[in-house]
Amino acid sequence: MQYRDLVRKAIWSAIYLLFILAPLFALLTGKLPPARNFGTEFSVALGYSGLAMMGLQFGLTARFRHVTEPWGEDVIYHFHRRVSLLAVGLVVTHPLILIAIRSEALAMPDSLREIPWGARFAVLSIGALVVLVVMALWRKQLKIRYELWHLSHIGLALTAIGAGMLHMIGWAYYLGDPLKRTLWIGMTIFWIALLLYVRIVKPLFMLRRPYRVVEVREERGDTTTLVMQPEGHAGFRFKPGQFGWLTLWASPFRITGHPFSFSSSAEAPDGRVEMTIRNLGDFTSAVRTVTAGQRVYLDGPYGAFTIGNPTDMHVLIAGGIGITPMMSMIRTLADRGDRRPLVLLYGSKDWESLTFREELEALKTRLDLKIVYVLSNAPADWTGETGRINADVFRRHLPPEYTDHEYFICGPDVMMDAIETALGEMKVPLARYHSERYSFV
Amino acid sequence: MRRLLADRLVVATGVIVVVLALVFAFVRVASLH
Repeated sequence: MQYRDLVRKAIWSAIYLLFILAPLFALLTGKLPPARNFGTEFSVALGYSGLAMMGLQFGLTARFRHVTEPWGEDVIYHFHRRVSLLAVGLVVTHPLILIAIRSEALAMPDSLREIPWGARFAVLSIGALVVLVVMALWRKQLKIRYELWHLSHIGLALTAIGAGMLHMIGWAYYLGDPLKRTLWIGMTIFWIALLLYVRIVKPLFMLRRPYRVVEVREERGDTTTLVMQPEGHAGFRFKPGQFGWLTLWASPFRITGHPFSFSSSAEAPDGRVEMTIRNLGDFTSAVRTVTAGQRVYLDGPYGAFTIGNPTDMHVLIAGGIGITPMMSMIRTLADRGDRRPLVLLYGSKDWESLTFREELEALKTRLDLKIVYVLSNAPADWTGETGRINADVFRRHLPPEYTDHEYFICGPDVMMDAIETALGEMKVPLARYHSERYSFV
Repeated sequence: MRRLLADRLVVATGVIVVVLALVFAFVRVASLH
């Protein structure tokens, strides 16, 4: 399985690089315009590859399951954010090099009206990119509503890419050749098609496959479970630990989907799925107002966070509402009659907030399951673990062959950072621990 | 750890792209001579 994932990662990485670099090196084929100095040619290569990288951003966020599965959606989204800085850096370096080497290409005409349109589009493209990056990095500080930001993000990206392409065509240097121009225009159409796929084709598909809320269940810890049944279709199969994008109160064409883990068993009948959502004060605070009978839309399943080798001990480490994917794993293993040893380390602020507490205790009879609750705000008569889950808790409750177990971690970012560090100190190999962060949007 | 993985991928992409942009420029300039 790991070898297969490694091969898939290598193949997708090669395809990604090919989409950036092949159109650049295609410029070296056929009839060539006269070469310029090294600095100018280098800066042009950076500009072309930066633009290709920007265009491929639409592919990274197009939710292609085969692409994202070997990495996990959180890694892809983090890569999308970071690689955008690299792409913008390359695009901005292009004119900076030309300025630094005092390229003739930047010679200012006598009148502003004489500035060629190819240059005007370059300014528009770079301007749109800078605004896009500022808004993406400081959206919360700028107090921009998520949906408005998302729409402007798409608009600015289209402007940057469209203007960048018109700049290249207007300059008519490499793209003076009709074949190369056709190749780059084709690439641009392909990038925009990726965007249309996720914003039009996918929502159309979701619209034809709606779900109906059949039960709304209040859970411990200011948390609500939505039980959803496919309406007029068979639904989808998911692996325990995976997640889906849930759209409530809106059509799937609106950019209002939010990612939540499935909390139900993957063996549940009739395509039924459950999502358990804690009130965190944002969009989630309205989930409790959902009523049975309401129509909702689900896009999924996604994610690489799922149970591993059946012969290994599984150590599930959950913090707060991070229990939801673990609950899906535990329920599924119970339904499958799986007797692999399981240890659940469940951190919570207090005893009353332990979502699924009663059901977990009941599931002990059907599984080889040991549960360790770790409370940060324990009652006076509490004799269990207190504080945070750390290496000391592992040593007290896990069999000492720490490097042989499979670790699954889900919880707040701070907790996950601390646990990953602790596992590193205990010499647990990276391949043995699995996590997926849900604060990626 | 997972973010570190993504960061490493970005650095690797950046290095490959810049090196190949240099190769592109070398190939072009070499054609001058």
